[in-house]
Amino acid sequence: MIYFEHVTKKYEQSEGEKTEALSDVTLHIKPKEFVIVVGHSGAGKSTLIKLINREIKADEGKVYVGGIDYSELKKRDIPYLRRKIGVVFQDYKLLPKKNVFENISYALEVSGVKTKDVKIRVPKILELVGLQKKAKNFPRELSGGERQRVAIARALVHNPRILIADEPTGNLDPRNAWGIIEILLRVNQLGTTVMMTTHNQDIVNKLKKRVIVLQNGKVLKDKEAGAYEA
Amino acid sequence: MSNFFRLLKSGLSNFRRNGWLSLASIIIMVLTLITMSLFVIVNLVLNTGIKTIQDKIDISVYFNDTAKQNNIIDMQDSLAELTEVKSINYVSKAEALEKYKKQNASNPKLLESLKDTDNPLPASLEIKVTNPDQTDALVKIFDSEEYKPYIREYSLKENKVIIDKLFKATQFIKQAGFVATAVFTVTALVIIFNTIKMAIFARKEEIDIMKLVGATPSFIKGPFIIEGAIYGIISTAISVIVIAIFIYFLSPALINYFGGIGNSLTDFFLDNIVILVFAQLFMGILIGVLSSLLAVRKYVKIS
Repeated sequence: MIYFEHVTKKYEQSEGEKTEALSDVTLHIKPKEFVIVVGHSGAGKSTLIKLINREIKADEGKVYVGGIDYSELKKRDIPYLRRKIGVVFQDYKLLPKKNVFENISYALEVSGVKTKDVKIRVPKILELVGLQKKAKNFPRELSGGERQRVAIARALVHNPRILIADEPTGNLDPRNAWGIIEILLRVNQLGTTVMMTTHNQDIVNKLKKRVIVLQNGKVLKDKEAGAYEA
Repeated sequence: MSNFFRLLKSGLSNFRRNGWLSLASIIIMVLTLITMSLFVIVNLVLNTGIKTIQDKIDISVYFNDTAKQNNIIDMQDSLAELTEVKSINYVSKAEALEKYKKQNASNPKLLESLKDTDNPLPASLEIKVTNPDQTDALVKIFDSEEYKPYIREYSLKENKVIIDKLFKATQFIKQAGFVATAVFTVTALVIIFNTIKMAIFARKEEIDIMKLVGATPSFIKGPFIIEGAIYGIISTAISVIVIAIFIYFLSPALINYFGGIGNSLTDFFLDNIVILVFAQLFMGILIGVLSSLLAVRKYVKIS
């Protein structure tokens, strides 16, 4: 499903000086897998996600997602690619001037889904994340946990084959955090490939899923049913 | 169709939720439209005004009683050959008397006194010229050896002074109006462009999010363009109402000062209200959409 082949990504720090966010990373995530990526901040987790969503381009190596070779992807095809991937951003990235319903329906409208269908699918996904009663609220009126669930609902509403969640439990208390994790597990059971990054030791240890440990831009460990050891 | 309504709805709610920035854009656009419209109206009214005055100003040539009708007809013919002459009307002594009597029908004493004497009124030629500035050729004929003896006087000299003054004044008003309109239009374009750019800059993050969830550039642009068009439509409505109120209250004062011109301002507004509305609508939507497009273009590009 997701395939990284000797991928290196450098960021320009200052005049001519570059630091490597990812260096020579090779990894393979199979369809319907649930993968947790752990690592300290600066280890390369966000870079990994940005590469998958094609927010940035790899400097070296190749990225394939869903059979598409990113090095051959044209700019005008990027929007269509992003519609196949659901991303839950660390800072939620909700549209402040749209209410909960509109934020979620936007992800459907961009791909030209009929209004009739939008009206069916959005309430369903709101029910899944337990936000039926907040449909008319604006993001600023929601708590962190609620915003996180809106972000998940938006990432899921168009039935993506891949769901990427960047620190989805980052700012949440344990009860809320587990609520989010349960949603991700349910989606995974329904056949979506899920990749999440986290700092949360407790979650990693209890989930017993595949864990990829990143350190200084390199894959340090990659274990099935792994535990937190970053 | 579903997509169009979606765009329309999205544009409308953007407009509503944008608050004071929408208001600022509209105020500026209303000012632009009013300025442009008023200058167009004033210019056109001035043009009609000048034309009316020019039409009213004839050159009259009054003849001595020694002049015979064939002398006058001769002169009429040679004047008619000039391209500067629009029309010539011969008024005989008898016709002049008739006219005078009609004009003074309410004054029987005056008419009484006329009966006792011979007709004191001279025969005349009433000449209308195409351009009040070019009368040299006419003067040449008036002053020629052939006709000079028959001519008692002609009215050109005093008219010319008035015409010259009027011309200079209107020329100045037109030029000043044109310059002011141009300056205002350019200023307004720059201001509106910047207002919308500010609005879009404030929403740069939103645009980035839209891109991240898979929106194409044209899908992102749509609502902004609709928003620009809405600015144009609302501004036109406000501008037309303001101009109507302005003219309604101003025209009595104008009629006091200028007579006919004041009237023609109101008439002009009413006669041309449809054109005026559509012209403003066109300008408003054009400015709104164009500034939106220019302002949003940079931000929707996918890198």
